[in-house]
Amino acid sequence: MDDLLADFVAETREMLEASEGEIIAWEADPADTSRLDSIFRFVHTVKGNCGFFDFPRLANLSHAAEDALADVRAGRRNPDSAMVSAVLAIIDRIAEMVDAIEAGEEFSADGDEVLIAALNASSELGAEPVTAPTTTSPDNTSIEDDADQSSAARKSDTAITAQRTIRLPVDLLDRVMSGVSDMVLARNDLAHRLRQAGTQPTIDGPFERLTTILSDVRDAITRMRMQRIETLFGALPRLVRDLSADLGKQVTIDLEGGDVELDREMIEMVRDPLTHIIRNSIDHGIEAPEDRKMAGKSETGVVSIAARQSGNKISIVITDDGRGLDEERIVAKAISKNIITREQSEVMSREERLQLVFEPGLSTAEQVSSVSGRGVGLDVVRDNLEKVGGSIKVTSTPGHGSLFYLQIPLTLAIIAGLTVEVGEQRFAIPQSYVEEVVHLGAGAVEYTKVGETALVTFRDRRTPCLSLAHVLGIEPARPDDDATLVLLRLASGDLFALAVDGIHNLSDLVVKPLPRSIMKTELYGGSTLLDDGQPILVLDMPQIALNCGLVSETRSTGGRRGDSVAGADAKDVARAMLFTDYAGRRSAIRLELVQRIETISADLIEETAGAARAVIDGVILPLIGLPDGMLPAGRIRLLRLTDGASELLHAVRDIDDAVELSDALKPVSDDPLVEALTLVDGKTVTLIDGHELFARHGEAPDVTDKPVCHLPDSEWARTILGPLVSAAGYEPAIGGTASPGDIAIAFEDEPDETLDAANVSQIIRLRDQPDAADGDGSIYRYDRDSLIAALQTAKRSARAGGTH
Amino acid sequence: MTDLLVMTQIAGRRCALHASDVQSVIEVGTITPVPGTPGFITGLTALRSQALTVIDCRHALGFDTIEWSTDTRAAVVRIAGHSYALIVDSIEDITSSVTEPEQVAGGFGPEWSAVATGMIETAIGPALMLDLEALIAGPEGKCGEFGAAA
Repeated sequence: MDDLLADFVAETREMLEASEGEIIAWEADPADTSRLDSIFRFVHTVKGNCGFFDFPRLANLSHAAEDALADVRAGRRNPDSAMVSAVLAIIDRIAEMVDAIEAGEEFSADGDEVLIAALNASSELGAEPVTAPTTTSPDNTSIEDDADQSSAARKSDTAITAQRTIRLPVDLLDRVMSGVSDMVLARNDLAHRLRQAGTQPTIDGPFERLTTILSDVRDAITRMRMQRIETLFGALPRLVRDLSADLGKQVTIDLEGGDVELDREMIEMVRDPLTHIIRNSIDHGIEAPEDRKMAGKSETGVVSIAARQSGNKISIVITDDGRGLDEERIVAKAISKNIITREQSEVMSREERLQLVFEPGLSTAEQVSSVSGRGVGLDVVRDNLEKVGGSIKVTSTPGHGSLFYLQIPLTLAIIAGLTVEVGEQRFAIPQSYVEEVVHLGAGAVEYTKVGETALVTFRDRRTPCLSLAHVLGIEPARPDDDATLVLLRLASGDLFALAVDGIHNLSDLVVKPLPRSIMKTELYGGSTLLDDGQPILVLDMPQIALNCGLVSETRSTGGRRGDSVAGADAKDVARAMLFTDYAGRRSAIRLELVQRIETISADLIEETAGAARAVIDGVILPLIGLPDGMLPAGRIRLLRLTDGASELLHAVRDIDDAVELSDALKPVSDDPLVEALTLVDGKTVTLIDGHELFARHGEAPDVTDKPVCHLPDSEWARTILGPLVSAAGYEPAIGGTASPGDIAIAFEDEPDETLDAANVSQIIRLRDQPDAADGDGSIYRYDRDSLIAALQTAKRSARAGGTH
Repeated sequence: MTDLLVMTQIAGRRCALHASDVQSVIEVGTITPVPGTPGFITGLTALRSQALTVIDCRHALGFDTIEWSTDTRAAVVRIAGHSYALIVDSIEDITSSVTEPEQVAGGFGPEWSAVATGMIETAIGPALMLDLEALIAGPEGKCGEFGAAA
């Protein structure tokens, strides 16, 4: 096929995608001629190009459609639903023909005349004109006046937003990308040599510049692979229209966030899950118009899809206002299919019960319909999303609809990964699975073998433990009881430990696909190159867990939502992390501040003018607690602390355990860094003052996406509460609609309706009086400390929820 | 029709690959083994920023690997979107074909028949024309899906 023809096919497809949404919109509002323009332009261009290439049938079809549309534009004809369908059918036929042209096949000529006749028939019959749902007046002239104005306005809009684009072969992009990767490797090599040669100011300057330019170029290249999610949304209005017509339902679709950008490959990954959920919503969620009327809802159901970027994740929320999920029926079905036992179902929360819809073999539809019951269920949707490191959750209010919450990583190609070593070899694990890293020798965990199964007891939970060496069939360099454990939590909530010989570093990995013969081992998800250019394999953790039978095992212990339980405990008794610092002092720090325990090698620490810093996850963080003088050699354990906004690292000699501060706290006045002394197991422990620690050393890292906190609409909230809220790391918002994950602050007497309470994840109540009845949960409006504490708790729980 | 061919020796036999399939010939550097894969997959090696899957052709055919010494050079081929480095006894020459691949009465022996499209006459003598897809599928793959096609 020559280039010209390929261009024609590509251009036609592109225009086709762009005009699909327009067609549906036009059908909903036939008076809107600006929509018409784009469809008209499409058939017109196709017609023009056909003359060029000698495709008489394509030309006939597009000519007929163009004529009909021209009549509508000139006001000679009223668009009716029969005509819209006829135009749609012609556009479909054009798409099929274009496919055939590309494949170089003959396309059967049958039916062309019928399609053209349908177009004319509807005009001859003079079918009832469809009036716009928004405009009740059948008066033609007034409609056109409106339309003229709006179309003029829209035209100027499109003129501004139109971007100049060129079309490039994907191969070329990939070549540029791999060229840049090569450049990064060459730079690393050069950096290594320069370090060996010692400091040379004349070379170091330009080299630094090269590094900066290179990282800029790398960012730009990564963005070249991005595509707006619009390309995915474009086909949805049509899907919804066709489906609802098939099922005799009335459904409109509401799309938001089409400008969010996503890796091209990722868009393909999300396409099927998204389509599936929409099918489900329309088929099972949205009721028939009569039922909706009876339930007191508008006859037309709404499916809305919103995409948002938060950090390096994209969240897509799909909501419908249908009947919602039937919790009882899901549970009954799950029990009858032996997915859970009756006892288990009794201890599950509503939310946990709803997640059962993602279990294999559970389809709630009484009858398998042609639309959504095609043998692939939501379990496949979840599997596919998990394969690319995403997750899915569902919530639902009976009678009011359900909400599917999808999270997917921004790109498939670059992931944060932890490099582990086993035997002589290194492997990478996607960081999104890693909960914690523990060294077995430290005594924090207990390792036992039950039969051939290894179990570790960690935080009072027996967790299955896999030896990576055993899984891969290679010889480990260290005995089992001297291994390092990586605790992994899969997107499904299953927790298990992986024993490895050692941990290297965390870094951004560019993941490349593997050939089928290696994928067949079901051990690896891809390959990546280390800084020295050596290839290593990325482990496919969900698949490994599945193959080892771990997924169902941990699930049946019933404690998979461990975090929520731990969170509830923390409110009653203060908990702290017990450790020994380099001065040999037994100290404790409140557990809420501890984000993670990190072990890094001493060469990642940089000491300047009395202040030390360390690099973790590519971020430079202040480091305190190092001994004076010489740095300890080898590996250093660090507590990574956060107050929600800023982070800092505290070096420790030894980590003991997380303990409850049940004994009395005795305040200390001589050292501001010490909050109190207390007894743990009969021994004195210094409790470090987190407030003072962060006041002195805290530093805000680069803030990415701040969570939103909605405030009451008053002057007090704006001027006094606002700054406090933003200091706590929230984006204050007054008015506007809430999206899931946001929190809100409200006065005690404020009704829920004013704040969109269904959407916000948490509401903090303020009262006007310093004293209030016990246990009403509200906070005095000037009690700064409690307010900040409440905000931090909300933030942490949101973060914990987001990582699953 | 005359085609350019890369002539190689695999397990002591002369084999031909289409020159258009061979992207380059490289010196194989460090190989990262891939645990859990069949023996003919030697591992991964890096070619610039690309990871290549290293295939030991003798093993992939089902022969013992110690009998013949191998070249330090490997032929890089790209099949179905992935790049492979083929380890062979030696890479001889580039030459042109004289005939189309044709079958020989009695076949080429079980190992060879599975991966060969036929015998081809070249400027330096007869050689076996290899089917790369069948070759990289390894000994197990050939009896199954690829066996029918060969």
